Amino acid sequence: MKFDFKELPGHSRDYLRPAVPVRLEGLARAPQLCLLDTGALHNRFAAWTATAAGIDLAGADRERVAIGGFVAIARQAPVQLTLGEVTWEAPVWFCDPWPLAFHLLGQEGFFRWFKVQLRTAAYEIEITPEA
Amino acid sequence: MNQVLAKIAQHEFAFDGQEIERRLANVVPDPIGEHFVVVGGRRFPPKQVIGLLTGLDRADFNTHQARRVLSRLGFTVGRRSRESQGASPNRPGPHGGREADLLRAFRGRWVAQRGLEVIVAADTPEAVLQWLERHNQSADAMFRVPGDEAEATGVAPA
Repeated sequence: MKFDFKELPGHSRDYLRPAVPVRLEGLARAPQLCLLDTGALHNRFAAWTATAAGIDLAGADRERVAIGGFVAIARQAPVQLTLGEVTWEAPVWFCDPWPLAFHLLGQEGFFRWFKVQLRTAAYEIEITPEA
Repeated sequence: MNQVLAKIAQHEFAFDGQEIERRLANVVPDPIGEHFVVVGGRRFPPKQVIGLLTGLDRADFNTHQARRVLSRLGFTVGRRSRESQGASPNRPGPHGGREADLLRAFRGRWVAQRGLEVIVAADTPEAVLQWLERHNQSADAMFRVPGDEAEATGVAPA
């Protein structure tokens, strides 16, 4: 699967981010833009997505995390994610508050399942499921 | 922004540009077909705007009547098929900055995008999802257009 880097507008300059659209179960009409974050251990999504998708977080594991300059309460649930034609099940930590423009795909819930090639000079992303 | 008197579907109406901006401030645009009008930095189908202002059924008037009234009021009207591609080989990015330019008007808002086009923008993610459901539309991607650097990069504010 090939994707372009995402162009996002900024004040003094624009941003080019390696982000891809991931469908969360229950939100089929609106794939969520997710940053490929090799530094993140876990998938981290905004908590509103769990509510909108009908994912029950009552009784879920809960932790306090610091992410890129903010602190959030994160609750974990195993969910079904889809990228292109590939669907996999992975834990997602749903975080509140979530001030980022996108969600994060991390090592445990994403990179362990895919081979990811970034060609930053060409603004291209190529993602292949691991065999 | 001025005022315009117009006769539509045998009825006379007085339109006020500032009043239109006020009334549309909290209205989520319908899907754009070929034609659009820009009100408050957002694109609306011209017939949605005139239908909302007059209470007329949209079948009672045509797009060109709606465009003419809104254009006389000073609003920018356009056609999607005539939009410039706008990509610049001198700007970085897979689309030469065109995507960033298209998103610039939506900074700080939630958007659903199909291709490069924003099909709906709203102040909350729930409003975007409701709009997609109501109009039986699907997006290629949904996200919040960053309103500042921290939202785009995840860095702590200085």
